[in-house]
Amino acid sequence: MKRISIAERADWRNQAEAVGFDFHTIDGEPYWDESAYYQFSLAQIENDIEDPTAELHQMAVSLIDDIINSEQLLSQLDVPERYWNHVANSWRNSDPHLYGRMDLAYNGQGPAKLLELNYDTPTSLFETGYFQWIWLEQQIASGLLPATADQFNSLQDQLENAFKTLPFPTPLHFTSVLESAEDKGTVNYLMDIASQSGMDARYIPLENIGEYNGQFIDEENFEILGLFKLYPWEFMLREDFGQVVITSQTQMIEPPWKMLLSNKGILPLLWQRYTNHPNLLPAFFEENSENAANRPALEAGWVRKPLFSREGANVEIITDAGQALKEDGPYNDIATIRQAFCELPRFSRMNAQTKKTEDTYAVIGSWVVGDEPAGIGIREDNTLITKDSSRFVPHCIID
Amino acid sequence: MTIKTFKRSKKAALILMVPATTFTLASCVKHPDDEPALVYQTPEQCAQSGLSTKEQCEADYQQALALHPQTAPKYANKAECEADFGVGGCETAPQQSAQGGSFFMPLMMGYLAGQMFNRSGNQFTGNGPQAGDNKTGTKTTAGNTATQTRSNVASQPLYKSGDDRATYRTANNTAVSRTTGPVKVNPSRIKPQAGRLVPRGGFGKQASFRANSFGG
Repeated sequence: MKRISIAERADWRNQAEAVGFDFHTIDGEPYWDESAYYQFSLAQIENDIEDPTAELHQMAVSLIDDIINSEQLLSQLDVPERYWNHVANSWRNSDPHLYGRMDLAYNGQGPAKLLELNYDTPTSLFETGYFQWIWLEQQIASGLLPATADQFNSLQDQLENAFKTLPFPTPLHFTSVLESAEDKGTVNYLMDIASQSGMDARYIPLENIGEYNGQFIDEENFEILGLFKLYPWEFMLREDFGQVVITSQTQMIEPPWKMLLSNKGILPLLWQRYTNHPNLLPAFFEENSENAANRPALEAGWVRKPLFSREGANVEIITDAGQALKEDGPYNDIATIRQAFCELPRFSRMNAQTKKTEDTYAVIGSWVVGDEPAGIGIREDNTLITKDSSRFVPHCIID
Repeated sequence: MTIKTFKRSKKAALILMVPATTFTLASCVKHPDDEPALVYQTPEQCAQSGLSTKEQCEADYQQALALHPQTAPKYANKAECEADFGVGGCETAPQQSAQGGSFFMPLMMGYLAGQMFNRSGNQFTGNGPQAGDNKTGTKTTAGNTATQTRSNVASQPLYKSGDDRATYRTANNTAVSRTTGPVKVNPSRIKPQAGRLVPRGGFGKQASFRANSFGG
């Protein structure tokens, strides 16, 4: 695994904007960063990332039966009691699921370590499945990368296949918070692929979804048969329409059982069941931690994460060397888990604005479509906490 | 010889997200299904126009007024309603929520009504409602060039959003006109959906304070 500088494609910004990828730069800082790429060997991809991704996915799924049959575990994961049956039924009915992304710490050797599962509302899908793919094709065409270069990225093929084969209703509605351009980017890409698969894909802003007689309805008052929602389950259950989730016939994607896996509590549960598995980090529940004042002091070598938290919000780290980092956020009122600190691979990058080299840390987002590994996208940040502003850097496989 | 299997998709293509140049013509096309209608703020204004009788103007207005509490978009609180329809642009709806709370709805800013027109006129030949259709309410027969018929546009209330005070819109947020007077609309696109009190906005509350993005 190497980080290698490469010339940017001259017109990549125009290409991005032509397909609606307007958030390639956020507040003047690069989000899509193709001034470099990460290079892997095929063995690194297949043995160290792809196979562990499949195994970790199966391990996580293997916990669901135990969770839905345990009031203690459902409480520990902070699933409101009135939804317990609903979540359990979605699993027993085998409600189909579409995709997820697990974040891995991997430095090119030794086992990749699971940092967390983003199994409910993963984003950066378009950047991974499409824009990174185009980048490789064009860099091969321009001769900057060899014709034999490849990429671990079958996302579009696998998503298209999923829309063709999984029992999703049509028309299928897609929803996200209207004001989030990044979320809309992921939704637009999924709708595009669904359309290519022959589905009738329709967008509805989350805020415009209505309720009639216990059913979710679209803007024209038609019942919503299927709804891909890029909005967290833990929010939906606690908002005004939460109860409608139970009464409605709408098929939700991701299905309710997926909320159990996107919960950070899955990390201590994995460690309990598969203690010392090479791809897991030690993790534990912090008891009575929903009030920030009650939480015990974090010790060196540990990371604290709220059960529900996205984009690195409210994550607290004390490195092995005792360096403390904390990302503020809105999840202070939520129980937390502790996970052993794992050093992210550090590289040096040239900052195009300051013309200076600086340290950067990389996290590998490893995608799963259905139950199959489907590729990776790499995010890097100048800190140890990966956030929504962290840069997306493309990768390739060269043997 | 070994056949290399790639780790990447065979293709990565887009069909919806491509540049939208092919769609820009759509809004300029004259729709063959459009029919004439009238937009006024009051029945008096309508009668003064001479485009409809005083009695018809009043009847259309009363019909729109009756539909208003049924079809107007409903909000769980006044602030959300005013966010869409402007400060002072909302009133309490007669319905109550299951929990006994109030709903809010925008003020009716005008109304839309069907208009009498000559079916054999060049503009609407062949595409208007067929003579004898029980919705036309006339005794016309097909091919009678002199007969007037009433367009198939349902009388209904109109609203104006807070960020676009010029445009009259239906309860379903379809823009109808920027002025009072005669307009052309597609009747099937603006059918009022009466009797459906539909709460919306039950998801997304935490959007305002939890984050900018909800993926991860």
